[in-house]
Amino acid sequence: MPDLNSVASGPSEVSMSDPSAGIQVAEKLHDGATDDETRGDEFAGRSPLRIALTRLRRDKVAVVCFAVVMFFVFVAVFAPLLAKMFGVSLDTVSVCEVVECNYASPDAGLPKAGPPAHGFDPEHPFGINPRTGSDNLAHWLYGCRTSLMIAGAATLAASIVGVLMGLIAGFMGGIVDKVLSFIIDFFLTIPFLLAALAIAPIINERFAASDNYPTIQKVSLIGVLAVFGWMGVARLVRGEVLSLREREFVHAARVIGMPTRRILFRELLPNLVAPIVVAVSLMLPAFVALEAGLAFLGIGVTDGASWGQTILKATPYWDSYPLFLIEPMVGVVLLVLSLNLLGDAIRDALDPKTRR
Amino acid sequence: MFAYLVKRVLSGIVVLFLVSLSIFLLFWFGPSEPAQSICDRETSNRCTPERLEVFRETLGFNNPWYQEYGTFIDGVFTGREIKFSKNTKVYDCEAPCLGISYRTKQDVFDEMKTRMPATLSVALGGATLYLLLGIPIGVAAAKRRGTLADKALVSSFLAISSIPYYLFALLAWLFVTINLQVPVISDTGYFPITDNPGKWASGMLLAWIALGIFGCTQYTRYSRGSMVEVLSEDYIRTAKAKGLPNRTVIYKHGLRSALVPVVTIFGIDFGTLLAGTIFTERIFDIEGIGLWGLEAVYQKDLPVVSATALFGAAILITSNLIVDVIYSVLDPRVRLS
Repeated sequence: MPDLNSVASGPSEVSMSDPSAGIQVAEKLHDGATDDETRGDEFAGRSPLRIALTRLRRDKVAVVCFAVVMFFVFVAVFAPLLAKMFGVSLDTVSVCEVVECNYASPDAGLPKAGPPAHGFDPEHPFGINPRTGSDNLAHWLYGCRTSLMIAGAATLAASIVGVLMGLIAGFMGGIVDKVLSFIIDFFLTIPFLLAALAIAPIINERFAASDNYPTIQKVSLIGVLAVFGWMGVARLVRGEVLSLREREFVHAARVIGMPTRRILFRELLPNLVAPIVVAVSLMLPAFVALEAGLAFLGIGVTDGASWGQTILKATPYWDSYPLFLIEPMVGVVLLVLSLNLLGDAIRDALDPKTRR
Repeated sequence: MFAYLVKRVLSGIVVLFLVSLSIFLLFWFGPSEPAQSICDRETSNRCTPERLEVFRETLGFNNPWYQEYGTFIDGVFTGREIKFSKNTKVYDCEAPCLGISYRTKQDVFDEMKTRMPATLSVALGGATLYLLLGIPIGVAAAKRRGTLADKALVSSFLAISSIPYYLFALLAWLFVTINLQVPVISDTGYFPITDNPGKWASGMLLAWIALGIFGCTQYTRYSRGSMVEVLSEDYIRTAKAKGLPNRTVIYKHGLRSALVPVVTIFGIDFGTLLAGTIFTERIFDIEGIGLWGLEAVYQKDLPVVSATALFGAAILITSNLIVDVIYSVLDPRVRLS
């Protein structure tokens, strides 16, 4: 998709600037050229990552998606502050003050102020949760926080484990590689959803009475996502390392007696940045979607705010109060969609084969 | 070939064994008190420590885990008798015994068998649509590569596949059954095909369409990519140069070799689909294995939950095995490496 949309503005501009992008002379910097093309390129060639970055900046879809993602990150980081600013909070006051408690009324269970039956209510910009009477905006803001926090932490954990496993398996070879490859294949045969399903009642049984239950639930969810998410990266890294370790620079490093750990992290890892970045950038939206999906099934975050949980609660109200369902859905779809498109754009930008 | 087959089947069995062991250990060491949920249920939440001890003793939780795992495996092959407490009935669990449901007191495997047709219907219908929609669209796009229609198709399908599946399915269900109230197909669910094939198809139709449209985006991408690659091969040019009609070149010469990678991916996907229809079953209210497992989680019916997980893993292992074997027939290089 990104390469399609940038076609209109792309080719002419690229062909003009690309030759100069490779090698640059110092004096060019003094021409007052401060645009993206020349900034920071004092002398010779630019690193592949820098080229990719310039490409990304020129990709309109990527820029828009990045802005959307940054918006969600902003909301997630400042959720408590934003909630305070709008004067909303997660805790509900007295249910019958905000929700129609007269069960003879046709509006029974629906909020007294704001949508769907009444106009916009500035005190609750996103409306009120039917039945429980808590504020939708607060749930949305904190839901964004839950979503990005869990997905981000799980991505971080899964990619660290995956990179380490892949590096070790690929570089060590032999029996170590065999064992690690078997572990990777083993984890791949366990269906993720069913594993999450099996772990949910255990976490519940063990910690439901605990005061920290919401935290424990989130941590265990991060754990489950990470445990079943690292194999892709590990496979990828292993494959790359297998071909890289026979290259001259690795042999040279070995000959001069560099310790293995240093070869792994100083020689091999920098060469793996591009595939890892691509894998990680596509892992994040998958985890955001899974987090909400598990909450929707009632086996993810059940305590505390989560978009998936709101979607589950809002489904029966689709007919009478569609806004209640639309809000969390827009959150999930927009975040996942822009993260996915951004990931695709990053992949295209890092791929030397795509000419733009 | 035979040696490869034996090796592959053996490794599949080893993995299945390890998965069953992991699941067993998860339910043995995971809960702080494995007998608690059955004790709560049987004594209607008046589970005293003395009563709990009785349950622990009769269910074998006081024995070491390896002994009980042996009993479990033994039960899978020869069947066994299960007793929950001293004065309750003895349940006869025939081979393959996966336990007795805490909730319904039925043989878990028998229950699974009754749930199986629903899950199989979902997966088969969805997978058929994957191919029926995905491949023709992909081929058509490859034929018109670079045109506006191709670009529009590729980008719109990318957008669809970027939305989480369950939201797509949920929206489809909400629009069709609540907003539009389309007559026949709004009544989703599983109705046995032997009773009424028409009702079966209409109950499944919406789930199939949702699954098919969402899944076919991937197949469009695969088959388009594969077809584009094949169409640039020399032998296609030769066929064209011979003056063969365009149809013959594309469908007879091109499609054949373009489909090999697509069918391979399909094999793996079908396994994943069969093991993971939870969202579809939950949204369209189809009483299959996924929904069964999900309900068991809410009810803390541990034997059913572990059986669901085991079922999914067994399906994945088997489908991987079948794909590997088929692939080794198609491409001899695989079994030599």
